Amino acid sequence: MFEVRFHGRGGQGAVMAAEALAEAAVIEGNYAVAFPFFGAERRGAPVLAFTRIDSKKIYSKTQVYSPDCVVVLDDSLLDTIDVVAGLKPGGSVVINSRDKPEDIDLGISVKTAVVDATSVALEILKAPITNTAILGAFARATGVIKLESLEEAIKRRFGEKLGEKVAERNSLAARTAYGRTVIGTSKGIKKLESKKQWLPKYQELPAGGSLIEGKTEAGLIGPGSFIENKVSGWATFRPLRDREKCTMCLLCWFYCPEGTIVRISDRGDLMTNYDYCKGCGVCANECPVDAIKMVRARA
Amino acid sequence: MKKVITGDHAVALGAKLCRADVVPAYPITPQTLIIEHIADFVNDGEMDAKFLTMESEHSVMSAAAAASAAGARVFTATSSQGLAFMYEMLYATAPMRLPIVMANANRTLTAPPGIWCEYNDSMGVRDSGWLQVYVEDNQEALDMVIQSFRIAEDKRVLLPVMPCLDGFVLTHTVEPVDVPQQEDVDSFLPAFAPDIMLDPARPAMMGIFMPAEYIMELRRQTMGAVESAKKVIGEINDEFARVFGRNYGGLIDTYMMEDAEAALVTMGTVTSTSREVVDELRKAGKKVGLVKLRFFRPFPVDELRKALSGLSAVGVFDRSISYHGGGPAFNEICSALYGMTVPVVNHLAGIGGRDVTREQIIKMFEITIKAGKGEKVNTVNWHNTRGEMV
Repeated sequence: MFEVRFHGRGGQGAVMAAEALAEAAVIEGNYAVAFPFFGAERRGAPVLAFTRIDSKKIYSKTQVYSPDCVVVLDDSLLDTIDVVAGLKPGGSVVINSRDKPEDIDLGISVKTAVVDATSVALEILKAPITNTAILGAFARATGVIKLESLEEAIKRRFGEKLGEKVAERNSLAARTAYGRTVIGTSKGIKKLESKKQWLPKYQELPAGGSLIEGKTEAGLIGPGSFIENKVSGWATFRPLRDREKCTMCLLCWFYCPEGTIVRISDRGDLMTNYDYCKGCGVCANECPVDAIKMVRARA
Repeated sequence: MKKVITGDHAVALGAKLCRADVVPAYPITPQTLIIEHIADFVNDGEMDAKFLTMESEHSVMSAAAAASAAGARVFTATSSQGLAFMYEMLYATAPMRLPIVMANANRTLTAPPGIWCEYNDSMGVRDSGWLQVYVEDNQEALDMVIQSFRIAEDKRVLLPVMPCLDGFVLTHTVEPVDVPQQEDVDSFLPAFAPDIMLDPARPAMMGIFMPAEYIMELRRQTMGAVESAKKVIGEINDEFARVFGRNYGGLIDTYMMEDAEAALVTMGTVTSTSREVVDELRKAGKKVGLVKLRFFRPFPVDELRKALSGLSAVGVFDRSISYHGGGPAFNEICSALYGMTVPVVNHLAGIGGRDVTREQIIKMFEITIKAGKGEKVNTVNWHNTRGEMV
């Protein structure tokens, strides 16, 4: 059995990637299952998806804890999640990154394939949806499925849902990424640990799970605790405002779903708090004088 | 034809293959994909059904009752809060003997709010008169929609049926599913033809007010229908196996029980994972077996007594808690085994959608085997629960 764990963010298509991989395996005559695990359904929030491939029927209905391959759709996740946790000896990692494998520190030295899937997706799909591109890299890095099977699977899954044109473009994204994939070995220097969670015993959990402001070993809990959850890493784009063009109509301030645009009243100005801006682009879309441009968040 | 599809997609295909006439619907995670797929089928002209978008689940079941009473084959699906919101109408539809089929995507019932798998939604309506079957994979989900209509519409039964599938673990998991041919389903499931229905040409009164002089008899009659469903479920299971080549065992299914000394009774997808665990424990020389509790209503008392006789111990898995101790499956199995001397222990796991791992299932078997040896174990075991010792 070959087990894959996908790490992505809501909206990048990790679930579709896991499903398309399963479909490709079935096209090659194997049995396969794919399933997601996510928290609250939010664009940008970390998402897990899994694929299992075997030559016979798979009965296991549990999550994948010892993957043969880990696929990371967003390298900002490497800062907060120990993506290689449980990776089988001899396993591999496929990462959407602009860095070389040798420059990526995963805490262990392991076979690592990289491709700049975001650029591939922006070029071909005109959106930072990296799932099909990263699958091209997966096929190249693992050899578990052939590129032709993958393209056929993408055409079936995307074609049924989104039409032939979209399917063809996604197939091209996979093929392009396949060609651009660089395979090497990651660095294994820094000790990576997933962010600590507050996990009280049932006796310690306040009645009904009702929380007041509090501090635990794992950080703040209760009202206001979200301040610790800096989400800037989620953003593919961030807004840049042109002060000259801005008329201070405040529509961006009004529409920002995260409240990250702050009024500085004594200067009659606005400021964006990039720690909490997810780069959704609502402000740029609403601005009546086109004073806000969305630019790539990470170099 | 094999398709790689989610459990929700499989259920929707089942409803289409059964040629449901009316589908009143209200979306709720993780059932939503069922409704979306059916909406697509109807929109694309692949399914000749009246698709009704209702303003609430209470209205969904009201519309379902009315359409069924008018002689339509009715399918719908819900989950969790949606099922709870239907509560009143569930109790109306069963004693009215309306053979509606409604899939339930098992999901935790608030509080606390959550979207993952737990059985406290469907277990809360186990006394409504609806029949309930719990499935372990997407193939069974599709197949049981087809069987559910046959069971529901059988003149000896005439009760609504609720195929239950694990939220996310099945609803959002893709795996290969063999989709039956339309003509095979058509000959397996003839058109719905009730004896009495709301028809202006032959006036009828349904769901009428009844004083105490009649209600005892109506309850007794409904109980009789639930009882006779046991035989019907077995017959339909066998016929389905002959036509489609898949035998689910009827009320219960058993695995490696012939010479088993200790057994675990499971429901839903935990059954599937447990099959692999049984194989593994057998390799290590442990004589363990598995009983899959498929139908919770009617409750297979005789079948369980037979399957679980002669064992040293029985473990019962539950994915919800009944607040007087163990879970509902445990309590009903203890009642079913009344008079037998076999020790029965309860294994609570996977509540709120927590992953039920192979290690936890091995632990369930270990505790059950211990109980069989007369060693002291907890009667109710909260697996993988912080603050609890198992």
